[in-house]
Amino acid sequence: MIIIAPYAQKLRTDKENPKNYPYWEELVYELQKTMHVVQVGVEGEKQLVPDFRKNLPIVELRKLIQECRIWIGVDSFFQHLGWDEGKKGIVIWGPSDPLIFGHPENINLLKDRSCLVDNQFIWWEATEHSNDRFVKPKEILEHLKE
Amino acid sequence: MSKVLCSVATRGRYFTTLPLVLNAIINQTKRPDKLIIFDDNDEPQDMRKELIYSYFFQMLDIKGIEWEWRYATRRGQHFIHQSANTEGFDWVWRVDDDAIPEPDVLEQLFYYTDDGVGAVGGSILTPPYMPDTSKITGKIDNINSEPNIQWGMIHQETEVEHLHCSFLYRAMVHDYNLGLSRVAHREETLFTYGLHQKGYKILAVPGAITWHMKEPTGGIRMEKNKDLYGHDEQIFRNILDYRSKTIVVLNCGLGDHIVFSRILPSIPSAEVFSCYPEVVPGKSIAEAHSLFGDIEPWNIYKKMDQWKWKDSLENAYRKMYL
Repeated sequence: MIIIAPYAQKLRTDKENPKNYPYWEELVYELQKTMHVVQVGVEGEKQLVPDFRKNLPIVELRKLIQECRIWIGVDSFFQHLGWDEGKKGIVIWGPSDPLIFGHPENINLLKDRSCLVDNQFIWWEATEHSNDRFVKPKEILEHLKE
Repeated sequence: MSKVLCSVATRGRYFTTLPLVLNAIINQTKRPDKLIIFDDNDEPQDMRKELIYSYFFQMLDIKGIEWEWRYATRRGQHFIHQSANTEGFDWVWRVDDDAIPEPDVLEQLFYYTDDGVGAVGGSILTPPYMPDTSKITGKIDNINSEPNIQWGMIHQETEVEHLHCSFLYRAMVHDYNLGLSRVAHREETLFTYGLHQKGYKILAVPGAITWHMKEPTGGIRMEKNKDLYGHDEQIFRNILDYRSKTIVVLNCGLGDHIVFSRILPSIPSAEVFSCYPEVVPGKSIAEAHSLFGDIEPWNIYKKMDQWKWKDSLENAYRKMYL
């Protein structure tokens, strides 16, 4: 079983969170060919797989993490929770800096440091979403083969 | 060489003591690198039209002291001091608009700015009241039982826990409490005591005399609302009540709480205020607001921005709390 935590926290505006990965559907299509995929998140987020477990309490999420083979997420609280549970995962990075907000114990996939925003500490509402900041699904799938 | 900003917060004293203060600053034996006059008047004026001020501005130019007249936000002098604190200088010499320094005050204060020193203050004299300072401890516990050491002639370098009125301080180390009311009662005591709590020496030193020409009008005394003083005094008392604790305020995201939880066991006597008590147990953020007035000094993102942080979030928490 693999867990996906696809979305960063919803912004206070209607804008897309710039940390959200734009190619989830393509990635999930490939993942589901060989694995059972569990999506975790909150009510209101787009459902990507049949098994979508919404609004789980932290303690339940921790249990689920222990049961999974690996997890994949973006820069959201979930990457910290997976790290705290000692379970290695894949974090897909966009505008935020894995050297600051990530954990070296995870597989941190950043397309290029030129994709990072200059000021890492402002509200994310001030940053526009851009597909160009992210790696393609193929690169993520390569890491799953390891 | 360390850069020194001189900041003067003024209100209601255009034509009384402010000109004396500016003249004294211009004629210091050690010149500040920049002077900012923060004009907090309800009806600010363009002082370039006043002959005496036009002379001051020319004297500053001739002496090579960069200067700026900045209209302030009328929210109280603590906002002004925090603005000076974050202006990018190494040290800030804050001078009240009714406190006239002798010509060598900045030079004398600056002499003591070694590593590990957070603030240096000299005598702030308001004759005829000049208490004997020889037995004054300057400890925060004695704030209600002894005169301030700066009120009298200081005869020897003394390590204290707080200063008042006018002093030279290390910038960008501690924040002013912006939760205080407009009267900003106790603001300098809280600020210098905060530097002390962070491990910096606070020094009262001899040979740096400022004459405090207190006036019944102008400055914070323009406020008559006793409730504001009461509000600020309560925040001061609350902070003192918690002084044996390491106050932790986690007004941030769930992930930040998870990262912080790793360092919590290393923090001595932590008193935690938390958004996610299921991850980091603690009292509510609303209670922190109520007790301390201002919780921005614990904003880890603001701190990382100020520090131009490149290391991990976990290490930023270590820097803040350990």
